Amino acid sequence: MKKIVFAIIFVLILATSLVKNSTKEIEDKIFMVNENIRPLTSELGDVLLEYNYLSSPDKLTQYQTQYFEKDLIKIDITKIKKLTEKKNYIKVSDFIEKIIDE
Amino acid sequence: MNDKKNNVFLEGYENEFSYKKSKTNLNIEFNRIAFIFFIFLVISIIYSIQLLHIGSLKEATNNIKSSITKKNYRADIIDRNGNYLVKTVSSINIGINPIEVIDKKKLLINLQLIFPNKNYIEISQKLEKNKYFYLEKKITADNYEKIMMLGDKSIKSEEKLTRIYPQKNLFSHIIGQIDDDNNGISGLEKFFDSKLKQINEPLKLTVDTDIQYLIREELIKFNSVFRSKGSTAILMNVNNGEIISMVSYPDFDLNKRETVSDVNFINRATKGVYELGSVFKTFTVAAGLEEGLIKKDTEFLNLKKKLKCGKNIISEYDKKMPTNLTVEQILIRSGNIGSVRIGQKLEIEKLKLFLEKIGVLSKIDFDIEEVGEPIPFKWGKCKLATVSFGHGITTTPLQLAKGYAIITNGGFEIKPSLIKKTLEDNQNQKRIIKEGVSKDINEILRKIVTTKEGTAGLANIKGYEVGGKTGTAEKTVVGGYTRKAKVNTFVSIFPTSKPKYVMVVLLDEPKTSEDYIYKFKNKNGSYKGTPFNTAGWTSVEVAGKIIQKIGPILATKYMEN
Repeated sequence: MKKIVFAIIFVLILATSLVKNSTKEIEDKIFMVNENIRPLTSELGDVLLEYNYLSSPDKLTQYQTQYFEKDLIKIDITKIKKLTEKKNYIKVSDFIEKIIDE
Repeated sequence: MNDKKNNVFLEGYENEFSYKKSKTNLNIEFNRIAFIFFIFLVISIIYSIQLLHIGSLKEATNNIKSSITKKNYRADIIDRNGNYLVKTVSSINIGINPIEVIDKKKLLINLQLIFPNKNYIEISQKLEKNKYFYLEKKITADNYEKIMMLGDKSIKSEEKLTRIYPQKNLFSHIIGQIDDDNNGISGLEKFFDSKLKQINEPLKLTVDTDIQYLIREELIKFNSVFRSKGSTAILMNVNNGEIISMVSYPDFDLNKRETVSDVNFINRATKGVYELGSVFKTFTVAAGLEEGLIKKDTEFLNLKKKLKCGKNIISEYDKKMPTNLTVEQILIRSGNIGSVRIGQKLEIEKLKLFLEKIGVLSKIDFDIEEVGEPIPFKWGKCKLATVSFGHGITTTPLQLAKGYAIITNGGFEIKPSLIKKTLEDNQNQKRIIKEGVSKDINEILRKIVTTKEGTAGLANIKGYEVGGKTGTAEKTVVGGYTRKAKVNTFVSIFPTSKPKYVMVVLLDEPKTSEDYIYKFKNKNGSYKGTPFNTAGWTSVEVAGKIIQKIGPILATKYMEN
């Protein structure tokens, strides 16, 4: 009985020290990863800002008038089709199934 | 026999003794183990206390660190699709402290090499004054490197926060401005000032950049067509109060950081308090339906052409208005006298309670501080009559949108919001109006757009089941109303079979256009020039054009939510 209790205590102490040691290593790794993420996040933010500016509706309209010969046209929703993938074929149906127009 | 008895007694005594002995032995062993455990426990407690203490110390240091960083921090703001509306970037300002300058001539020559376009006579004068001054604000990375390479002690660099607005004017009234000390002074920047300084994640809004752009483009276009003083449009989800777009025109470029003092630049959507006219008739009818006093087909007979109430004369705009009308026809044809009769049937308390319930009478609780307060008034017999058809009562376009959302979404309370919430936040909906009211109202609103008698035929865009109500109101001047200045409003709901969006379009003081060509929606053909300065010929046309443009995006992009 005495031996078992001592053995348990010894194992517990050993296990605790091992776990603590490995936790410390993981903590260090997490710290390193976090530190590496910080500049990347900042860089991503800047790139996204640039992307948002260059792809803003205002800019896109400007590019359209600058580079395209044709004007943008409004889409009539009744002309939009819905494609549904079936087993062997693709079913084409109207996007607006029923138009209620009194 | 006696001996035997004694023996038994002795045996029993021996047994008892042996038990006591063994118990004592056990006690000794147990105490030893307990002692070891106790020591182990004490060590663990000391260790844990130390760990906790170190942990708390770490946390405290982190807190101090974060409070230091937060001082120079402001969270970004993004739209519902994650696009930046505001981004904080740090910039560097370069200043010179003339007291620390050793060789002024050498410094000026070096500076001239880096910044050849600066006025060096002026800089030289500033150096003579011995007072700290800024040489260059928001310096580029290249120039910063060059100037720091000079190694002059008198050159100082200061890190400053700069807010960048990639969408320029698009969200000026919603976002607002900040001052030089990183404090919000208007819009969301002011309302969420402390939150923006604390949160680590960007603040996500409900607005959609593409839709906001398309609506603003139409407002700008029609502002010049109808020569309006200004205009506003709000697009809101009727089921959860999420504002998808809110434009007030004229607006301003936030990147210019100008002080805006002209009253014409106010946020008309939230701050503008207007008498909106006939759009209120829908509320009168809804209140009557809610109270069970009227039905859609309830007939009002012998409606007079004119009513006199005190000094005021109430008459019909449409001189051909029939004398017998059902409730539905009153709303479709926008009858003033019929609305007064419904209002009189309701009486003051019931109409007042209904308007309070849908939130058009008192100041709205919203996400920005620039919110107007409806002008309070005293209810009376004449007031009841005028309020019934939308006169003598004021509110903001935002509250109008909220009211229409409630009466068309099945009667559920909603809170208009610019901040994106989780799905769970939107689940607990409270019914404040009876279930059947919305169905009747939606059917009537649809007929206002589709029937010949209706006033909003120009908004009948194929495929969207648009319904709505027009409102043309004359602006008040000292001593009454003026016909010269009008507020033309159109509130649309779509699709009316299961409303998802409410859109308010308000034109402030529009004028008729002689050149604009209207293309009819119900029939073939077109019409040149605005025949009447009414909502039906102005704001309805604007709303129709907007729905035509944003409709496909709304229908495809937001199919699920």
